[in-house]
Amino acid sequence: MTATGALAAEPRAAGDDTAIEPVLVERSLAQQQTLTAVEQFAALHDSPLRPANASRYAALLPARSPADGEQYAFEVDLDRCSGCKSCVTACHSLNGLAPGETWRDVGLLHGGTDELPVLQHVTAACHHCLEPACLSACPVKAYEKDPRTGIVKHLDDQCIGCQYCIFACPYDVPKYNRQLGIVRKCDMCSTRLAAGEPPACVQACPTAAIRITLVRRQEIIEGCETGVFLPGAPDSGLTLPTTHYKTRRAFPRNLLPADYHSIKPERAHWPLVLMLVLTQLAVGAFAVGFVLDRFAGNPLAVDAARVHAVSSLAFGALALAVSVLHLGRPLYAFRAVLGLRTSWLSREILAFSLFAPLAAAYAAALWLAPTQTASGTTVHDVLGATVVASGLCGVIFSIKVYQCTGRSFWNGVSTSLKFLLTTLLLGIATVLLTSAVTSASSPPSLPHAQTPHDFILLYGLIAASAVKLLTELAFFLHLGDRRNNPAKRSALLMAGPLRSITRSRFALGVVGGLWAPAYLLLSGPSAAAGDAGYRVVAAAVAFVALVLGELLERYLFFAAVVPPKMPGRFAA
Amino acid sequence: MTHETSLPAGSLIAGLRSTFHQPHGPLTRQLQLAPAGFGLGHVPADSKPDATTAMVCGYCSTGCALEIHLKEGQAVGLTPAQSYPVNRGMACPKGWEALAVLNAPDRATAPLLRSERGKLQPVTWDTALSTFAARFKDIQQRHGPESVAWLGTGQMPTEELALLGAVAKFGMGIVHGDGNTRQCMASAVVAYKQSFGFDAPPYTYQDLEESDVLVLVGANLCIAHPILWDRVMRNPHRPAVVVVDPRRTETAMYATQHVALRPKTDLELFYGVAHILIDGGWIDRDYVDAHTAGFEEFAAHVREYAPARVAEVTGIPCEDIYRLARTIHEGRRVSFWWTMGVNQSYQGVRTAQSLMNLALMTGSIGRPGTGANSITGQCNAMGSRLFSNTTNLLGGRDFGNATHRDEVARILGIDPARIPKRDSWSYPEILEGILAGKIRGLWVVGTNPAHSWINQNQLRDIFSRLEFLVVQDMYDTTETAQLADLVLPAAGWGEKDGSFINSERRIGLIKKVARAPGQALADFAIFRLIADYWGCGEMLQAWNSPEAFFQTLKQLSQGQPCDFSGIRDYRMIDEEGGIQWPFPVDRPPQGTHRRLFEDGRFYHSDGRARFLFESPRSMPEPPGEKFPFLLLTGRGSAAQWHTQTRTGKSAVLRKLYPAGAYVEVHPADARELGIQPQERILVESQRGSVRARAFVTPLVQRGTVFMPMHYETVNQLTHASFDRYSKQPSYKACAVRLSREA
Repeated sequence: MTATGALAAEPRAAGDDTAIEPVLVERSLAQQQTLTAVEQFAALHDSPLRPANASRYAALLPARSPADGEQYAFEVDLDRCSGCKSCVTACHSLNGLAPGETWRDVGLLHGGTDELPVLQHVTAACHHCLEPACLSACPVKAYEKDPRTGIVKHLDDQCIGCQYCIFACPYDVPKYNRQLGIVRKCDMCSTRLAAGEPPACVQACPTAAIRITLVRRQEIIEGCETGVFLPGAPDSGLTLPTTHYKTRRAFPRNLLPADYHSIKPERAHWPLVLMLVLTQLAVGAFAVGFVLDRFAGNPLAVDAARVHAVSSLAFGALALAVSVLHLGRPLYAFRAVLGLRTSWLSREILAFSLFAPLAAAYAAALWLAPTQTASGTTVHDVLGATVVASGLCGVIFSIKVYQCTGRSFWNGVSTSLKFLLTTLLLGIATVLLTSAVTSASSPPSLPHAQTPHDFILLYGLIAASAVKLLTELAFFLHLGDRRNNPAKRSALLMAGPLRSITRSRFALGVVGGLWAPAYLLLSGPSAAAGDAGYRVVAAAVAFVALVLGELLERYLFFAAVVPPKMPGRFAA
Repeated sequence: MTHETSLPAGSLIAGLRSTFHQPHGPLTRQLQLAPAGFGLGHVPADSKPDATTAMVCGYCSTGCALEIHLKEGQAVGLTPAQSYPVNRGMACPKGWEALAVLNAPDRATAPLLRSERGKLQPVTWDTALSTFAARFKDIQQRHGPESVAWLGTGQMPTEELALLGAVAKFGMGIVHGDGNTRQCMASAVVAYKQSFGFDAPPYTYQDLEESDVLVLVGANLCIAHPILWDRVMRNPHRPAVVVVDPRRTETAMYATQHVALRPKTDLELFYGVAHILIDGGWIDRDYVDAHTAGFEEFAAHVREYAPARVAEVTGIPCEDIYRLARTIHEGRRVSFWWTMGVNQSYQGVRTAQSLMNLALMTGSIGRPGTGANSITGQCNAMGSRLFSNTTNLLGGRDFGNATHRDEVARILGIDPARIPKRDSWSYPEILEGILAGKIRGLWVVGTNPAHSWINQNQLRDIFSRLEFLVVQDMYDTTETAQLADLVLPAAGWGEKDGSFINSERRIGLIKKVARAPGQALADFAIFRLIADYWGCGEMLQAWNSPEAFFQTLKQLSQGQPCDFSGIRDYRMIDEEGGIQWPFPVDRPPQGTHRRLFEDGRFYHSDGRARFLFESPRSMPEPPGEKFPFLLLTGRGSAAQWHTQTRTGKSAVLRKLYPAGAYVEVHPADARELGIQPQERILVESQRGSVRARAFVTPLVQRGTVFMPMHYETVNQLTHASFDRYSKQPSYKACAVRLSREA
């Protein structure tokens, strides 16, 4: 097309008495901004509070309230769901959700044969489970299960935005609202139900495929015994979901969710990555230092012990500070202990909250102690042991936090291996570094050649690194799995979209955990005092590479996990 | 009574407790619901309405009414209107989100003119309109009045598209204009005109509930017309639902018989069914004798379509063809419905007529639950068919007919000489005109050809030859607006008044319930201003509002089959819940659900419907060695609308469909080509090459692939072939190949 600005007609000058058109433009613009629908048409009907289609609603709601042992539940008639997704939009707009926020979703199952292909849309919202994982995971008791209706309700003002419920729910139900810093979810429109109106999705379904029914809890428990409540859905034995999917059709065996082959990295949760790695570093550093002091028979010099304790403490404090950044509402972080009775997250937070002041007390005691050795007194010993115990509890609770989600990439064995070995590796690396630094800065009259326990540490570091890297590598054996199970999808993610991070992770692990300690070993006991500088550099390389390597390992831990969910749509 | 002294301590404890445990508060209140009144039930408390008003949705031709919740005159929400006879309290996702897309950040808020540097820059309306008139007049002076044309839309109210047609042809002297309805409805229009004597879909939606046999052809109601599917689901007669579609669609899933024929063999199929019906004596001879013409010739024609031959062509076993014929024979209220699978074809008119023939020969028309029924596409395609003044003179008249021209001239108070004596060129002919240098200026209103037209690369090349391209749209980011020399910012649905006509001929209202952004103006106002700047404004003096112009449209309809002169005013349409044409002033009929031809009289002068038929044509571009797959296109989901200029603006709708282009491939074909599920692959035709994600699924037949047309790249592949009578593009058949990306 030609540029036409040059040919633009000149607007007529103001005051030109032939210029009536600009007046017309003004008039049109003014008319455009005048809204007339109310005067012209509105209020054609009176204002009944009762919904106009109450009679249609009657068939979609139970005739009575739940009796003992019963609760409300969604019932979806798959034979009526045509996949229009009006339920999603009605839920969004009738509940006044934020732009783009949706509490219901519609997935697709497909399969069958050439002669009889099958497609089945599946609408799903919260299943208002008998044993809601969101509720037991929540560290602040922001979830309630109404004892009468069974509705699992989220208390928005109680929420601190830790998003652990999102990890815990197998159905991807709670939705995080970044602006508000909290999670929100479906409450079965409990206000509407209380007024005798069906939930928004039920009202809006053109084919009346969604209803509210009463279910007997015992029947749900029995029904979840097989674990299958819908093809392609997660194991129902985990949380006992109450939604009833009914159909008269026999589904083919190859019916799969349309997103079955879709893989997409999850959010990495950087504050959690940092928090996990740094808490484990701090706990490991204390534990390794303490064990050396107490049992290796060749205690650290006081200087080293002091520097070591303070630096470990610093990392621990940093970890806790960073972890708060993960919260949508960090000001309310103190609520996190409320869920102790059920939430591993609460327990983890409590353990680390004890660990930090105890470690501070221990470090302070070291600095104040007059004795020549760090472990000179029983008080020190007891204090030290308590620090280590609380820290290890914290690490173990961290493991439970993720293991409890039932995600296969976060299974107990591999999460334990990862977290405990990180603790050990980074603990050793810290001790090596602090001892190298303190000895290098010692007066030359006190040559501080490698001590026997340096060898133990170096061999330990190499062994632990080797085990950790090999087990992580072994996970890629899942690439050969016949089924596209979650483990294979995690492996595909790490070998595919997350490839460069995976490579860096292993490179850093080899450098920090194998090469640097091997260099230190080979430079050996014969090394002269003048080599102290090299030792510091090598120890620093090991430390930095290991910390970065573990950070990337933990990044992959979050990014490559495949959360269970209801069948989804095809994603392109 | 508590001791006063304990109060501070008490409130301290209460404060502490609520710090730790806070079941209510500002965040909870954000989602609080309140009874709205107006029969709406509960709504979000902060958007509780103080008035409501119902208006017709602005997407598809179903014509659902949405109850707009108003607060101080402005829309704050909506729910589907409970009492409207079309949708009775239901809406599809697009309807639910209809208001959300008005607030998009890329709304056109000022006229834009392409600068010398080639960038679109904001200008005043005065400059824009002066430029519009100067440039188009200049082109017309140099190349004749025919050298400027327009392409309109089925998305505008009847008042606006009639005003556009009148201003353009009678005021500006433009000869050629057409609408995007060419892309969806033209075949049905021509089929009805030829067979019934007027473009008159005969049904009411109530027929969906009253049939005992529904034959749905190339129509995926679940996705394309969800509320009509709702009506099928409400049918209490346990109807047989026959779905004729090469794909396993949602609708096919619910069919009692899914006839998954080879693509584009439906003409043979229905001739085959007619053959069986005639063979078995399963026809309504009395009806045929009394109300039709041409049956004997038709019977002779279908004699060649013996089931065995038809089975071979369609891939449908003989017994299934017999079963379909028997179902039609045994049904007492049989209705035939079709959509784009029939219309968007190189033989769409004859295929539509093959269904009309079945209805006529079995007497399945003019009674409840019957009919040969085209389900239209856009919200006002039906208004456009009657009043766009393009290939029909206003009111479904004929440009070639002097009496018709005089009638129109008299009603509009213009000189009959200003009315052209021939039809406009159709959309593809206008494009050919550009290619031939006969058309130099183009005015595109409310449509997006740079995305939607068949063989898109060629279209873009054609547009690049224009001297001046004006695009009038709600959004200045559409693919076509990006090519424009001048963009005129239009107010959208919800920001202006007017009336739509839906598929069942029901006239409904749209209303101004939201303020248009910036300087955007209703198309009605833009057309009036253009007339003023052009110098033909005096013609429009009486029509200062859509409702005033509606009174003129009533007069234009009088005496025509589409007569709605009995409608008093907008208020009456509102009170009646929409009014179907015909509704003549002298004998206004009764009833909310009315169908045509109850008396068996059709609109041909002899009152008889015609049997029209022709031998099937071969596919213009069949799959071959180099391009072995047949590409079908169509709707992807109920949350998407056409080129997505509006639906793409709702964050919620965007979550309901895949973000990028995808292609459905049969598992066996994928295996053969080594294509993995979810892999990005290349889809290539002779015209273009596009990337798409492979959705490997048995829902498509082997040798065919399917791509939703909502993705911009898809029409780079399609082959520009057309129905010879309707000039409708054949979007659903072209040859492609698939390959893995290097």
